[in-house]
Amino acid sequence: MSAVKLTGISKRYSDVTAVDYLDLDVRKGEILGLLGPNGSGKSTTIKMILGLVKPDSGSVNVLNINIEDDPIAVKRKIGYVPESPRLYEFLTGLEFLDFTGDVYGMELGEKKKRIDEFIKALDLEGREGDTISSYSEGMKQKVVIISAIVHRPELLLFDEPLSGLDPKAARIVKDLLRQLASQGVTTIMSTHVLEIAQAMCDRIGIMYQGRLLALGTMAELRVKAKMPESGLEDIFLKLTGTGDVKPIVEALLK
Amino acid sequence: MNWKNVLLLVKVDVKAYRIIRGSQFRRFRENRLAMYGLYVGGVVFGALVGLAIGNFYRGFSDSPLKSLFFQGAISFFVSLPTLALLYGLVIAQMNQIQRMGAKISIQPLYWFPITWKEQTLASILAGIIGMPLVITLFISSAILIASVFFELVPLAVFTSLALTASIVLGSTTAEILKSLQVRMTGAVTKAAGRAAVWVRLIGSLIFFVVFYLVYFSIVYNVSPVALAESIASGQRAVWFIPYVWLGVALFEFAQNQLLLTALFSAASLIFIYVLFVAAARLNARFGMYEVPFIRISYGAYVPKTGFLGRLGFSSFEAALMRKDVKAFTRRRELTYIFIIPVIVIIAPLLTMLRGTTTGTQIPPTFQSFLFVYIVLFPGALMAVMMGSFIVGSEGDSVWYLYTWPISAKSLVKAKYFFVALFSLVATLVCSIVGAVLATPSIQMAVIGLTEALLIIFSLSMVSLTFGIKGADFRELPPRPRMIRPVWSFINMIVCLVLGFVIIAPLIPYGFHVTFLPGTSSQTLLSLPREYLYLGLLVSGVIAFIIAYVFRKMAISSAEELLLKAEGPEG
Repeated sequence: MSAVKLTGISKRYSDVTAVDYLDLDVRKGEILGLLGPNGSGKSTTIKMILGLVKPDSGSVNVLNINIEDDPIAVKRKIGYVPESPRLYEFLTGLEFLDFTGDVYGMELGEKKKRIDEFIKALDLEGREGDTISSYSEGMKQKVVIISAIVHRPELLLFDEPLSGLDPKAARIVKDLLRQLASQGVTTIMSTHVLEIAQAMCDRIGIMYQGRLLALGTMAELRVKAKMPESGLEDIFLKLTGTGDVKPIVEALLK
Repeated sequence: MNWKNVLLLVKVDVKAYRIIRGSQFRRFRENRLAMYGLYVGGVVFGALVGLAIGNFYRGFSDSPLKSLFFQGAISFFVSLPTLALLYGLVIAQMNQIQRMGAKISIQPLYWFPITWKEQTLASILAGIIGMPLVITLFISSAILIASVFFELVPLAVFTSLALTASIVLGSTTAEILKSLQVRMTGAVTKAAGRAAVWVRLIGSLIFFVVFYLVYFSIVYNVSPVALAESIASGQRAVWFIPYVWLGVALFEFAQNQLLLTALFSAASLIFIYVLFVAAARLNARFGMYEVPFIRISYGAYVPKTGFLGRLGFSSFEAALMRKDVKAFTRRRELTYIFIIPVIVIIAPLLTMLRGTTTGTQIPPTFQSFLFVYIVLFPGALMAVMMGSFIVGSEGDSVWYLYTWPISAKSLVKAKYFFVALFSLVATLVCSIVGAVLATPSIQMAVIGLTEALLIIFSLSMVSLTFGIKGADFRELPPRPRMIRPVWSFINMIVCLVLGFVIIAPLIPYGFHVTFLPGTSSQTLLSLPREYLYLGLLVSGVIAFIIAYVFRKMAISSAEELLLKAEGPEG
């Protein structure tokens, strides 16, 4: 069963094609990793799924709802972590999470229980009453991740979710996503950390210049790249044609 | 000192003001014509003004008057550096409080091989570029041209140089005050702990009130000629204060005391250098901005339904309104909204006090006018301003608006009621102050408050509509933009017109009470009662229609806004 279905979507910004007629079918309960060099269209794709960016052509269907028909119903079911989130820094971490719970209409008891649990789990206890402006980048990222998960969304859209997190928090988030996947929560994440994608994702999509070059499990990608023994990094560099970095390094050293 | 570094840093600061046009995200177009045109315009306009003044002076045939005018010109020249310094410092301080809250500001590039002296000098020079330089060019150009007619060319040349030195002096002092303020704010915040938010808010208010009092005292309480004359003669009496040395040097130059002129000029330059060294050292010590650490809450977290929830607002709407209350009490760049009622009350009060101290009889109608002014104006102005930037104040965090499951109607409702209720509270406070100062009749108080309510509830919607249409979410230096200037201007004009339209049915009563002889200024009872109620009713209907029409427009603009989230990144 599809959680997200993109059919022939494309998006142009002036003379730059960010996404070029992309078809993608993400299954319910799946963790899909989107990889690609900078500017390959990953963030734009995620934004189109969320309804933040309107595609020039094609259709976006999320959890059986066409995003254009009812964007609010779609947003209600989504948890989103942007690439570089700007929080309300004048609020405390606790106030922000309480605010998020209210935005998604959470019931009071449930809201308190979930927020308390997450604050403890991600080591924010003792700092939850401080204004976010005094948090480190990692702490801010933890707040954003909690705010994306706290309301029990059915679809998670994570743009570089683990950046800035300490090893313990990163491990918790990874395990949590796996657990959520087993409960039927779908996750689409964009990342540059190939090890994370390889370790966490059920399937990996490699994007380049707005197109999906390859999509599949690690085994399927190895077959496609004709590199049966290779890791994701080699496959990625080969498929995107960015593998031959030796002359670049040599030129830089001159 | 590496001058290349200084110039590069100044260039960066200048670029912060460049004009971005259109929605092209990949190109950053610079409007050089607008940038340099201002300076050329200042010189040309100044020359024209100087020419006009010179011709006016030449046209005098009456010799005592001509002599008086001549003496006035000398006083003006001599007082200019001190006046410029005074105004410059007040305005720089008023701007400073808005800058400090901005999330993004130009921070010293401490990891580059740039010294603190270079950094400080660049900051001082950057503080001069823009309006201070335009005004200096305008005044210098005007006095140089006018001086030809007055035959005061050497004094005018010296005045221009002293004026330039005084803006450097002002900018250097502002740099020192900036470092000290950052240091002091950090220390106060640290010491205040939980109360930091209130300490910061009240501190900002006191800061504003003091500076506005100084400003209004300069502008309203003394005539410009008297001020120039008192500074020109007074600064010699306080010659030991280094800030007036430039003015004293000019005074001595006008008296042909060349030795004293040279002495005070040299002393001024040394003083500027000493200040610069002090500023560089202070910057080296406190220049790195440290984010204040504020702990707001302790103990167990207990979520509440809240008062707004009981009033019928949805959980989202109530949450958004609560968030905005916190934003306006905690974000320093937004706290100046609280100052509006204070300024609006201070200005007429100073005039009134001036009247009492000079023994001028305050007409009874003035008291009625004062009450109406205090009740109507601050709240209305607050609604007009807050409504226009309440959406834009979301700044870079606007992506939440796009990602939340919210409808345009909910957004408009939450923002509208926040603006209206906030302005209403301000009006209630102002009306208490107005009642104490002007002792109106109960009927006048009721009518004043009713009209204030009508204006607030309709103009909040009008300004919110323009605030959504013209929202500017950029948080680039020197401060968050919040609304595009053209929409801000349109908002002001439309609100002004509609405000008049709303109170128009009652204006005839005002005239009747004020100008008809034999009627009491304290009461409207002498007027036909039906006429009064009819006027109020018509006013209410007009206000309702305006609010209704603009609500439709606001919702449609909000729908458009929520669909226009497209960012530049691929």
